[in-house]
Amino acid sequence: MMRWGRRGSLRHSRLQLALAVAAIATAVALPVVLVSVGSGVASHELANLQNAGYQIVVSAAGQHGITHSHSYVERILAMPGVTAASPVLSVTVDAFAPSGSVAPVLAEGVIPEQFTPTLGPAESGLFPSPLHLGDPTDLTHFANGTYAGPATYDALLSSPYAEQFHLGTGDRIILSPVDNRTLGTAYNVTGVFGVPPAVLGPTGAFAVLLPLSDLQVMTGYAGGSAVAVDAADTIQVAVAGSVATDPSALANVRSSIQGLFPYYGVSSLSQEAQQLEAASGVLTGFYLALSSVGLTVGLMFLALVLLRRVEADRRSIGIRRALGIPGRSIAAEILSAGALLAVSGAVVGVAAGYLIVEALAAWATSAVQEAAQLAIFDPVILGELVAGVVGLSLLAGAVATRNALQAEITEVLR
Amino acid sequence: MNDRARAPSIELARVVRTYGAGSADEVRALRGVDLIIPPGEFLSVAGPSGCGKTTLLNLLGLLDTPTSGEVRWNGDPVGRRTDRARARLRLEGVGFIFQRFYLLPTLTARENIELPMRALRVPHGERTRRAARLLEEVGLTGREKAFPHQLSGGEEQRVAVARALANEPGLLLADEPTGELDSGNTQAILALLERVRRDRDATLIVVTHNPEVARAADRHIVMRDGLVTEDLRGT
Repeated sequence: MMRWGRRGSLRHSRLQLALAVAAIATAVALPVVLVSVGSGVASHELANLQNAGYQIVVSAAGQHGITHSHSYVERILAMPGVTAASPVLSVTVDAFAPSGSVAPVLAEGVIPEQFTPTLGPAESGLFPSPLHLGDPTDLTHFANGTYAGPATYDALLSSPYAEQFHLGTGDRIILSPVDNRTLGTAYNVTGVFGVPPAVLGPTGAFAVLLPLSDLQVMTGYAGGSAVAVDAADTIQVAVAGSVATDPSALANVRSSIQGLFPYYGVSSLSQEAQQLEAASGVLTGFYLALSSVGLTVGLMFLALVLLRRVEADRRSIGIRRALGIPGRSIAAEILSAGALLAVSGAVVGVAAGYLIVEALAAWATSAVQEAAQLAIFDPVILGELVAGVVGLSLLAGAVATRNALQAEITEVLR
Repeated sequence: MNDRARAPSIELARVVRTYGAGSADEVRALRGVDLIIPPGEFLSVAGPSGCGKTTLLNLLGLLDTPTSGEVRWNGDPVGRRTDRARARLRLEGVGFIFQRFYLLPTLTARENIELPMRALRVPHGERTRRAARLLEEVGLTGREKAFPHQLSGGEEQRVAVARALANEPGLLLADEPTGELDSGNTQAILALLERVRRDRDATLIVVTHNPEVARAADRHIVMRDGLVTEDLRGT
């Protein structure tokens, strides 16, 4: 490519070029960071969904909204293809350690033999198998909804909580729905479970696992005048492998369960995954739209630099045209100069975005650091971003080119 | 590479060129010029400042288009062609030597000379050979790597002449080619242009105030107020 520009103004020109590259690089770095971290987190959450041990979730509006959970589990289990149906009730309670320390913990009530099959690969290794919570079916204490059977009073503690208060198997803790030890119930610690990693959701680091009926009685969700009867928050349903891998079979099971509970939400995780992917796509588009403001400013700066260069080289361009050098050659030269600047800026911007994410992953705090560590640099998205920048720079260059080629040769040479 | 371009037979028929038509600053640079220039002729053009000499040269070299009338090459109204077509004709068939040289400041002498050849996609080896020969012809061997700001006025003028000859044009146009040269350089440039015209059968049209150049021409025209007022054959 021919050099253009006057030798005397090269230093000034270099500063302009450096600023144009910096403007585009800054504009590109922002979407690189937003998109890579955003898609990394979405992808992680998606993987969690896809790796869950259950495929269908029954949920109701509001907390503890599913009633008659024990009997519904029986009816779901009777459906073909279903291998487990695990109701889960989650309530925050106060835990009093033998040392007298009190801490709020997330208590989860489950049916032991139904809960274990709904754990995903990442979670199943964190829990003892079988769960040491006494009656595996939780039907003895439940006693057909009378709660007249003997309770086991067994509890599993999360490892962060157990370590914090130096608790282990054989110890006893008191769990109370209110901040009053005397209103609480004593539980035997029968084991400890690990806490699955989570990035954006609550970690539930201080948690206890109880038989469902125990937690229902303790918190009043066994039934009463003002609360739901035999309450649960969700019922997680696991299906046989052949059903899980066949979308139509899975849809049939989901629709059978929906037929059982027309008033509750029944969704498959594949639906949720699709929704998450759609939401992630929307967010990526939003990030790019947000970044387009900076990108527009950067490209306007580039157009300005190109226009200034064309103006400065008006006579040189006029001489070339006078000699008969085709306008398209001159245009190609201006456009390629613009494209070169844009590519340089975009490459620097991508590199800067990458380094920013790496720095966040190394030195940022808590959730930001964890999110940055999950970042995914998708070459397709990055390629599209660079291509978009180059395309827009060509558009900006076209304005400069048009300006350069419209002037009368004789006027320019006068 | 094109074959050496043949010198065209040029005809101007009632050519008018008006700048800023309809405005208060309207200038009628040419007011209806009729002129026939046979191939291979050496024509000198003289006249007072502002009489339309440069405008005439621009129209002959297809840098400009007439407001009315026609510019014909070999009977073809080339003045009406598109910008692109006229650019191609300029590149292949016209060599310009501008009054202010108009060398590109960021290119060396050799690169300036090679510029039209590059545009015509002359192969690298041929380009280099031809540039070296032209530099030798204009007496600038050894100065090929010099930038215009490192050259004297006479040297710049000679680079401009070499560049005009690069694509071996059939029509050579020069606007005051000796205007800023001393007597010795004037003679040298004149001799070079004469030799080129003779060797290559090119048409040479020179705008000049220099009587030496006018005397050397086959034909001399004088312009005044946008019209050709005298048309004299040389001896």
